[in-house]
Amino acid sequence: MSIPDYMQCAEDHQTVLVVVQPVGIVPEDEFFRIYKRIASVAQVSIRDSQRNLYIRYRHHYLPENNEWGDFQTHRKVVGLISVTTCGSAKEWPQTSDRFHSQKDVFGATLYDSRLLVFGLQGEIAEQQRTDVAFYSSYDVCPDVEKRVEDFVESIFIVLESKRLDRATDKSGDKIPLLCVPFEKKDFVGLDTDSRHYKKRCQGRMRKHVGDLCLQAGMLQDALVHYHMAVELLRSVNDFLWLGAALEGLCSASVIFHYPGGTAGKAAGRKPSLAQGQGQAADAGKRHRPGAQEVLIDPGALTANGISADTSSEIGRAKNCLRPEDIIEKYKEAISYYGKYKNAGVIELEACVKAVRVLAIQKRAMEASEFLQNAVYINLGQLSEEEKIQRYSILSELYDLIGFHRKSAFFKRVAAMQCVAPTIPEPGWRACYKLLLETLPGYSLCLDPKDFSKGTHRGWAAVQVRLLHELVYASRRMGNPGLSVRHLSFLLQTMLDLLSDQEKKEVTQSLENYTSKCPGGMEVITLPDGLKLPPVPLSKLPIVRSVKLLDLPVSLRPHKQKGLLENNMSTKSPFIYSPIIMHTRGEERNKKIEFRWVQGDVCEVQLMVYNPMPFELRVEHMGLLTSGVEFESLPAGLSLPAESGLYPVTLVGVPRTAGNINVNGYHTSVFGVTSDCLLEGLPSVRTSGCMVEVIPSLPRLQLSTSLPRSAHPLQHSKEELSSSVSVQLFNGETQQLTITLENIGSEDLETLEVTSKTCNTKEKLFGEFLSWDLEEAVSQLPLKPGQSVTLTVNIKVRLDFSGGENLLQDLNDDGISVTGLPSSSPLRQVLKPRAETKPLGSESSKTDYNHVKTLEAVMTFKYSGGAGKVEGYYRDLTLGVHVDVEPSVFFTRVSTLPATRTRQCHLLLDVFNSTEHELTVSANNNQDLVLHASECQRMAIQVAKFDFDTLPQPDQEAVRYTNPKLLEEERLHTQASMINSTLGITWNIPSVRRQGEASVEGVLNQLVLEHLQLAPLQWDVVVNGKPCDCDIIADCKVGDAVPLEVKLTNRSKNAVGPFALTVVPFQDYQNGVKNYDLQDAVTFIGSNTFNIDTVNPTEDSVCMGALLFLYTGDFYLNIKFQDDNAGQGNEVPPSWFGLPSIHIKALEAPIEAGA
Amino acid sequence: MAVCIAVIAKENYPLYIRSVPIQNELKFHYTVHTSLDVVEEKISAVGKAMADQRELYLGLLYPTEDYKVYGYVTNSKVKFVIVVDSSNTSLRDNEIRSMFRKLHNSFTDVMCNPFYNPGDTIQSKAFDSMVTAMMVQAS
Repeated sequence: MSIPDYMQCAEDHQTVLVVVQPVGIVPEDEFFRIYKRIASVAQVSIRDSQRNLYIRYRHHYLPENNEWGDFQTHRKVVGLISVTTCGSAKEWPQTSDRFHSQKDVFGATLYDSRLLVFGLQGEIAEQQRTDVAFYSSYDVCPDVEKRVEDFVESIFIVLESKRLDRATDKSGDKIPLLCVPFEKKDFVGLDTDSRHYKKRCQGRMRKHVGDLCLQAGMLQDALVHYHMAVELLRSVNDFLWLGAALEGLCSASVIFHYPGGTAGKAAGRKPSLAQGQGQAADAGKRHRPGAQEVLIDPGALTANGISADTSSEIGRAKNCLRPEDIIEKYKEAISYYGKYKNAGVIELEACVKAVRVLAIQKRAMEASEFLQNAVYINLGQLSEEEKIQRYSILSELYDLIGFHRKSAFFKRVAAMQCVAPTIPEPGWRACYKLLLETLPGYSLCLDPKDFSKGTHRGWAAVQVRLLHELVYASRRMGNPGLSVRHLSFLLQTMLDLLSDQEKKEVTQSLENYTSKCPGGMEVITLPDGLKLPPVPLSKLPIVRSVKLLDLPVSLRPHKQKGLLENNMSTKSPFIYSPIIMHTRGEERNKKIEFRWVQGDVCEVQLMVYNPMPFELRVEHMGLLTSGVEFESLPAGLSLPAESGLYPVTLVGVPRTAGNINVNGYHTSVFGVTSDCLLEGLPSVRTSGCMVEVIPSLPRLQLSTSLPRSAHPLQHSKEELSSSVSVQLFNGETQQLTITLENIGSEDLETLEVTSKTCNTKEKLFGEFLSWDLEEAVSQLPLKPGQSVTLTVNIKVRLDFSGGENLLQDLNDDGISVTGLPSSSPLRQVLKPRAETKPLGSESSKTDYNHVKTLEAVMTFKYSGGAGKVEGYYRDLTLGVHVDVEPSVFFTRVSTLPATRTRQCHLLLDVFNSTEHELTVSANNNQDLVLHASECQRMAIQVAKFDFDTLPQPDQEAVRYTNPKLLEEERLHTQASMINSTLGITWNIPSVRRQGEASVEGVLNQLVLEHLQLAPLQWDVVVNGKPCDCDIIADCKVGDAVPLEVKLTNRSKNAVGPFALTVVPFQDYQNGVKNYDLQDAVTFIGSNTFNIDTVNPTEDSVCMGALLFLYTGDFYLNIKFQDDNAGQGNEVPPSWFGLPSIHIKALEAPIEAGA
Repeated sequence: MAVCIAVIAKENYPLYIRSVPIQNELKFHYTVHTSLDVVEEKISAVGKAMADQRELYLGLLYPTEDYKVYGYVTNSKVKFVIVVDSSNTSLRDNEIRSMFRKLHNSFTDVMCNPFYNPGDTIQSKAFDSMVTAMMVQAS
């Protein structure tokens, strides 16, 4: 007996062994179907008695083991059921013969046998035979179970008779010596008459009877017999059989104490179901009141025999062992077995049985001792298969007692044994399967999710080894897919624990495997149902943060203001709450402020680093998204060894609109493709992964005729799509042609252009940027690929003059302010003013040379396509940066009254701050040539302005604006009016630049007042001709010259009444004025005119007449006398700009004669 | 003396493991790992009520062919395992005990280090040298 049955357990001692075997050709599946049905009859309740018979079925049993049947009767094959197929009657004799020869194999021990014949029909089948049953087919055999029960009953009858026969052996009879196979030769020539020998025979027989009783269901009898056997055998030192008797005692006690059995489900015993149920139902019956009181009476043991009547032994101690004693007895039995080398199998099986009992008793420590012992039991040369079986069973038993690590250890040993080099055909498949079973023992789970929680904690060295073994086994199995999966797992979970060398090796072999079988994300299901979840290599490279990027400024969509939906968070009823719902999960799902646009490339930035000691090539790195159809554009990257954080931008194009959620990323490293989901990577920082994708919008590309400027605008905080810069002289105008090309896929439907001058301290005159959009708009809608152009005029007019200086100068210029009518502009120019105040002083010059910058942002708002329907538009911004160099400016301005009252002279000191020669010209004026840094005075005669004709500001605006601002506004409009009238331009011939010079900046209140037409307008008409300073009215001596003074009131108040006195005088042009002209000029009527009160917008005319008595040049000075002196100050004197009248009295025709 | 000394965390993963024959380190990993079964069994065998008075020294966990494995569990369930050569018969229980006591003291020092995170592997030099001292003369 060399092959242990590791499945044995204590209660097997009460079973009878029946071998079920096929005879001839029986299809395997059919045989096992029948076998299962037979095996379901595991327990038979015997009629006429309360006893049960338990049957153990085997379809394979070594005859060699059968020889130990006397030692322990449950090892004896007592029944044989043969299953055979017999197609025709012709085959029948042959079949029958085979059955008989099979019977002979176990012949010595068989109590009974049966043959189940399938397929045979006809007369042979009709004969009634007890030992043969005929069935037409494997499917039609309804009474197999019944047959088996009958068979078992017949076995029982034999068993019972044997029991009675042996039990009643009288002491007088010669008791045969039962022995085990290896003992036989030992007893040759032994004195069979010695007392010692007899006792030995008795003891062994007692033990045998005990076995039979146990099998026959007489538990208490069996106990009694065992006890007696122990006593007998102990006295003769028959250790092997003493051990068997003790073991029998233990078995019987175990059966008594644990009616549920000790095998447990883990042992996977075949008749588990039927037996389990039967035993449960039977549990109550076991405690037979009568039998329990069967007690041993040592006194009844006669010296020479066994008392047949066990009932007389009733009375003393209970025979059954207490649970804790069972183990003691087992230990003892095993120690006796241990004395015999040939009883190794028995010892081993006893150990296994004891462990099972201990497992039920939950005494793991002692069980482990038994197992430890079992490990050392030497069974001689074991075949590899047996070794595997032995290690597996050890592992199973360790598992049973809760020693999972030990169990895993032995399982691994078994696995290694499967592929030991001595085995010609290594069982890699079995090895792999066993290795998989060890995983829980090493607290390793093949789901990478369990490892994402934090740093790895476990038996790294052992686990790494195990994973390597799995990889190797799966490769040898011819399943590189599994190898790849395990290697990926190893890399992913144990990365921190691998040395640099190991990392290199692992990745190299991974690459080798993936060349045969690329790794993917599908779940691998093993044949036995185990699922290997995919292993995303989220550590190659390690991603630290994921950040969704906004579109570039020029492509950012904006929502139309009016259409802004109420997207305030509706989660809370409060407008503001200090309680911030701050959870990580929410943050991840948080929607990001900006939006992406369908059809446009969107970017996500990852910060990654490579933990490997070599360069890591990541291919096909792309984004995983949900919610929107998204076309990911994978990127390949190569990360240097142990790189620091490295930014990687992944791009993709959303193809539909909606909310897109970036769930993770996709990589392909070493041939393993992984989908790394962010929710499984708690270490990844992200500021939200959900973003709204709006329907597609057109895209415009902007190009300009001017060079782009590299530097951004200084004063603008916003990001600009592009900017241009240009250098201009002050007053110059530059045309900027902007070409807008639709490079998107949508039609451009609307286009709006606005501009905003950046905050600057500079005072800017006039429109900086101006354009005409009409033409461009007329070309809309703009199909993709088409373009429109827009011309923008850049006009810079800045004030380069130093303001304070100027005002002072102006005040000095007393003459011009008081305004003597006789002062001629020519004389003013000649006045040595320029010399007294040299402008060439260094400090002021540098001031003037200062280059000023002017910046503005042009915004092109455009929309179209589906995005427009949703109310979105895009902005394209163009920054315009202009460096303004001073050209000409006016250092001083003053006015001189002109000869005509409606006109005046504007005196401008023009300074050329450029380095070029420059010509300045004004409307109706001569060109003035100025050399570099030269200053000259320029006089321009201008008609006075009637500012009242300027449009009045809107009443509504007036109400809400600061009066000061209003005043400035008014000044500004007046100044621009003056400026446009003057039309001063400059021209630099050398560089072919020209521009305007603006006086706006230099005009102040005082000058303006001078330039303004007085609200009281005086018209003097002499001889029916309107007269002004420089017009010489002709008249004839002696003729009455009618003089008409007309006052038109344009002021807002009524004026007057006034008195005007006309004073004639002669100017000798040498500073002498002769007022004494009573004899030369005479008034017809009064020389004083009275003008009544003139209401606003009305006029009043007064008439008079003069008579010149001599020829000559006369001047009339109309003097004003205010009648109501009390209110005189309400009318400023400048309003009375009455012209002096120059009359040339000519010789009257002769006939008139004086 | 000892051929392998291991410190195992409450959650049964190694905090420290060192063995003398470097070339066969994995074997000791297996040995110590499987010994945890016995340690756990021994701890659970002692009733909960008795936990306070439980002796920290667990004694011989199990003998293998070549080695004897001894165990020790602190009150915080940190386990110490010492593997000694079976051939070394001079070692008596008392000596093993004193080795464990030394180990425990040294471990306490490690834990007192404010820069040590409980649960991390032990990298203390002092601890290392103490372990080395216990393992000498073995080879």
